[in-house]
Amino acid sequence: MRKRATILDGGLDDGALTRCAGRIVSDVLHNGGWHVESLALREIDVAPCLGCFGCWVKTPGVCVIDDAGRDIARRMAQSDLLIYLTPLTFGGYSSELKKALDRSIPNLSPLFRLVHGEVHHVKRYARNPKVVGIGVRATGPIDPDEEELFETLVHRNGINLHAPKDAACVITAEEDEDVVRRRIEGAIGTVIGS
Amino acid sequence: MSGSGERVLLLIGSPKGPERGNSARVGGMVVERLEGRGWTSEALHLHAAVRTEDAQRELFEAIDRASVVLFACPLYVDSLPAPAIRAIELISEHRRSGTVSHIPRFVALLNCAFVEPSQNDTCQRILQRFADRSGFQWLTGVSLGGGGRTPKRVHEAFDILAEALDLEILVPGEVDRLTRKPIMPSRLYVLGGNFMWRRWARRNGVGSRLRDRPYERVDS
Repeated sequence: MRKRATILDGGLDDGALTRCAGRIVSDVLHNGGWHVESLALREIDVAPCLGCFGCWVKTPGVCVIDDAGRDIARRMAQSDLLIYLTPLTFGGYSSELKKALDRSIPNLSPLFRLVHGEVHHVKRYARNPKVVGIGVRATGPIDPDEEELFETLVHRNGINLHAPKDAACVITAEEDEDVVRRRIEGAIGTVIGS
Repeated sequence: MSGSGERVLLLIGSPKGPERGNSARVGGMVVERLEGRGWTSEALHLHAAVRTEDAQRELFEAIDRASVVLFACPLYVDSLPAPAIRAIELISEHRRSGTVSHIPRFVALLNCAFVEPSQNDTCQRILQRFADRSGFQWLTGVSLGGGGRTPKRVHEAFDILAEALDLEILVPGEVDRLTRKPIMPSRLYVLGGNFMWRRWARRNGVGSRLRDRPYERVDS
């Protein structure tokens, strides 16, 4: 069975900023024998999470909103690897990527447990995807503080979502494609082995 | 006391809006204290404010009228809810367009459903970067845990915060000290929280289905 990767492309507007990185990610994974699906989230109508907890205490594991958000959550649960591809938004995710992540909480149990002394949710599924975050900076050089913030955010998500491994990298739209490719290969290699 | 003429804009980032939800409640607690000092106030629900161009314009104009922007929001997956991120994308784009000269002060007030207020730290850093790069004067980020519960010491912290905002002085570190401590030990919170989730599910008739796996892979 081929391993499945899902690219959650959180590019804004016409998606130009994340397109090149998305293509490189697909190349790297296809070359490694992965089955890759890419979701251009800006083209998918997903209602915002209501914060109602219905996915935990009314219809466990399924969002109460019947739209494409359910399908994205299902694909996420059934992936071996998730790629969070996003324009850097003050060191964090774009609204387009986040609309999908917010709707993925049905994939966790509401129940709490302690992880290194900190409260987190219990996993719903025995197997959970690894996570790679790729933040794209539109202009200027990489800002080390922003890079560290993005890596922290992806790692915090990894803990909360029970990712067996996580990694992140920041690239800029002004870099040569070879440099971008090396950064992406490095981050993906960290979690899947190169 | 600076008093009259000062205006606080409460931006509510919870999908539950201005009528219910912890963000509106805890933000309202700070606003009440400022109103008691002669401030006027305005509140906007960010989920509604990003939907149309008219609503976005109202949001930008409300920011231009504000002395202090109080950004009250729940933590969703270590960050802001998607519509609140959309709001900061739009606000930043507008304020960096070169037509804005007014620099409101900015306070972030985050609450998370985990017991540790420190779980808001990453999101606070994101909001500080937003404020610093979008024509605001970042003052402080206040973090609450435990689903935004507000023991007496949090009320004290809000008193100190409101006084500092009114006097236009630095927000004392006492605010952080009073809010940063979890409301109860983590183990106790896990026990109480799990009791609450199970009871809630039982009331909906799904008590035995809490661990359902509707999207389980067939090849696993």
